[in-house]
Amino acid sequence: MDIQNTQSQMRKGVLEFCILSVIRQGEVYPSDIVDKMKTANLHILEGTLYPLLTRLKNAGLLNYRWVESSSGPPRKYFLMTDKGLEFYGELERTWKELADAVHSLTEPITETETSDSIETQP
Amino acid sequence: MKKVININFQGRVIPIEESAYDILKQYIESLTRYFANEDGKEEIINDIEGRIAELFGEVLKKGSTCITDEDVNTIIASMGRPEDFDGEEANIHAQINGEDKKQSQSGSQQHNSQYSNDPKRLFRDENNKVLGGVCSGLANYFGIDPVIMRILFLITIFGAGFGFITYLILWIVVPSTASTVIGSPRKRLFRDADEKVIAGVCSGLARYFGISVIIPRLLFIIPFLSFVFRFSHWGWWDFPHFLSFSFSPGALFIYIILWLVIPEAKSAADKLEMKGEKVDLNNIKSTIQNDLEGLGKKAKQWGTEFGETVSEKGKQFSSEAAGVAKKNSRGVGDFIVLLFKIFAYFIIGVVLFAVVVALFSIGVVFTGLTPVKPFVIDDGLQNVYAMGTLLLFIWVPIIGLITLIIRRLAKIKGNSKLLRYAFVSLWLIGLFCFISLIISVKDDYYYSNHPAEENVELVNPKVSKLEITAPHTLRYYNRRWFKMEPFASYDEDSVFVQNVRIRIVKSKSDSFTITQVKLANGSSKKEADNIASKIKYDIIQEDTILKLDKGITITRDQKFRNQHIILTIAVPVGKKIKVNDNIGWNDDVHLHMGFDNDNWNDEDYNDQKEERWDHGVEYIMTTKGLERTDKKQEDEEVAPENNDDQPNNAVEEFKKSKEEILKQKEQKLKELRDIDKELQNSGDSTRYHYQPDNPKKPEAKKIVETVPTKSNNTSRTMHFDELLLMKFSI
Repeated sequence: MDIQNTQSQMRKGVLEFCILSVIRQGEVYPSDIVDKMKTANLHILEGTLYPLLTRLKNAGLLNYRWVESSSGPPRKYFLMTDKGLEFYGELERTWKELADAVHSLTEPITETETSDSIETQP
Repeated sequence: MKKVININFQGRVIPIEESAYDILKQYIESLTRYFANEDGKEEIINDIEGRIAELFGEVLKKGSTCITDEDVNTIIASMGRPEDFDGEEANIHAQINGEDKKQSQSGSQQHNSQYSNDPKRLFRDENNKVLGGVCSGLANYFGIDPVIMRILFLITIFGAGFGFITYLILWIVVPSTASTVIGSPRKRLFRDADEKVIAGVCSGLARYFGISVIIPRLLFIIPFLSFVFRFSHWGWWDFPHFLSFSFSPGALFIYIILWLVIPEAKSAADKLEMKGEKVDLNNIKSTIQNDLEGLGKKAKQWGTEFGETVSEKGKQFSSEAAGVAKKNSRGVGDFIVLLFKIFAYFIIGVVLFAVVVALFSIGVVFTGLTPVKPFVIDDGLQNVYAMGTLLLFIWVPIIGLITLIIRRLAKIKGNSKLLRYAFVSLWLIGLFCFISLIISVKDDYYYSNHPAEENVELVNPKVSKLEITAPHTLRYYNRRWFKMEPFASYDEDSVFVQNVRIRIVKSKSDSFTITQVKLANGSSKKEADNIASKIKYDIIQEDTILKLDKGITITRDQKFRNQHIILTIAVPVGKKIKVNDNIGWNDDVHLHMGFDNDNWNDEDYNDQKEERWDHGVEYIMTTKGLERTDKKQEDEEVAPENNDDQPNNAVEEFKKSKEEILKQKEQKLKELRDIDKELQNSGDSTRYHYQPDNPKKPEAKKIVETVPTKSNNTSRTMHFDELLLMKFSI
């Protein structure tokens, strides 16, 4: 088993949930999402983010708005739809359940580590 | 030093290095391919491009004058390459897939319509190809089996060589299903430096046409080997024929041209373009997702590019093609229009090809003249002019034109300006050489010598018959690979020009006489006289055979200055003459420069009328002129042998009608009777001298008998000869 592969798969699973949670906080510009996630120590390629956003938008979970920028053409800001909020609620519940389960299973060994990185997210 | 170009990228004007632009373009194309099966493909690409443009803006804001390779690479690294997406994507995609399916996609709808309504276009079929997929493409188009198409092409290739050209043109002109339909970078012709033997021309060609590298290599090597091992295979007249074109040293020449013309694939972008794109599921999907507008645009683009290369018509076609694609209409009219267009392109292609081949042949002919050059051209400056003319005036435009056509066809851009200037200036130097050459050669030929008639001593001028022949040279010239028609028997330091004219006139005496006049040109009268006096021409009589030299020998020192000999053979009446086929060419070699004021007018240089004659025919001189001896044979097939020693009588006499002879006879008889009377009457013997007249009577009869026969000793062999000749003439 390749440890790096497993790690990246774990990260990928929660990626969408993380992105949605960033957008839920308010209108954002895609590169801001990347920055925010970077500060949370979650790295994502912009090239991966755009198709994901488009898919979510096409699925009706997100919407976007053109915002005039000081330099150059207007930028595309993403915000969450009601449907998106609903979707996010579902995801959040699933995540909580999962986190609790993982937490209870792994408590004796890695309690502090896991709780740290994930609890900062909300 | 790098070239910076301005691009309009997502609404921003970005100054960017050309190489950086190539990288960027390549990256965007790779993304397009990667997201080809995505529903919101356009949007994704747009978003990413927008972001990149923004990042460029930031770089420029910081004070950079332009976007460099490095900037692009950093940005690409932060965006991520398609390879990096793979793992990250999989899960997410699967998650959302279910929801996606509900939505109706405009893309796929359009795609369906594209399938059903798109007018038929001619493509080369990459999936079912032997060489270039031309046959299977045509077969698809016309709805027949590709095998039939292939057989048809094979027949035309081996039948006339015509199909080969057609195939090549179609190969170049007709887009491939792989490279043009799919929204992929077009394929471009590069020299493949990674797999090169000499310059990578063959491997580049193989890449371009998607064939094994062995095929172009063989095509180049086989002719080259044949060039090394045998020379004799390329005759002049079948040169434009395909086989002799390909199996000739031309291959080496073509290789060099391609080397010059095709750029080497240096950057990664070049290499990608060179290889084009593989046909895989992803690409086919992307083809499918290309909306109609994209197709129209592409057709337009393709058409415009082609239109530049071929003619104005191309442009019309492109816009029409775009229009057709947009309208989605289909009908018999379109089909006919397409047929006409294919036909028009075909004609244009054939004309271009013919022009190139013609120019090429001219070049080869002039090059072929080089072995003769030292015999015509002076050493020194004139030689320089000659070489300059050959290389710069003749070959440079040929290479230039071929280069231009190939560059246009292969859509190679680059330092064409530099090339053009180079070609034009080289050609101008060539033109200067050519003019100088003409002027200096003209001087060499300007003056003619003073013609002087000299008698040729004959051992036995009284023979009854003279057969003129040239002895076979002992040396074997037949196997020489090179032979210039007028300059027969080319050899390293001498050539023969067969500038020997034979005039046959009637002799005033009873013996053969031969006179010769030597003619030549020169840069002055004196020089011309000198050259003429150096002409050595041997005439040897052996019994009835007169041996002449095969031609006038010209050495490297003497040079060819229109050396020319006029032999006048005077044949006495009643004697025979025959000029063999191997002597006296009618079409002699001459160079005329400037005004021929002092040209030797040999037609009336003496009062003797020149007789008309043909080679290989025996003639007899009569009072009226030359007569063929074999004419008589038609009258009497087998002539009885007659041992009469009397010399040959003229045919004229034979032709006298019997009536005339009879009349004479009657007259003589009358005279005889008168004489008899007188004798009886007077008994005078003074008139006895009339008696010798009496025996003449039977003699006259004898003439009638003997003339039809060949009454000399050689008659038997002559019969044979003449019968043969008759056979041939029949």
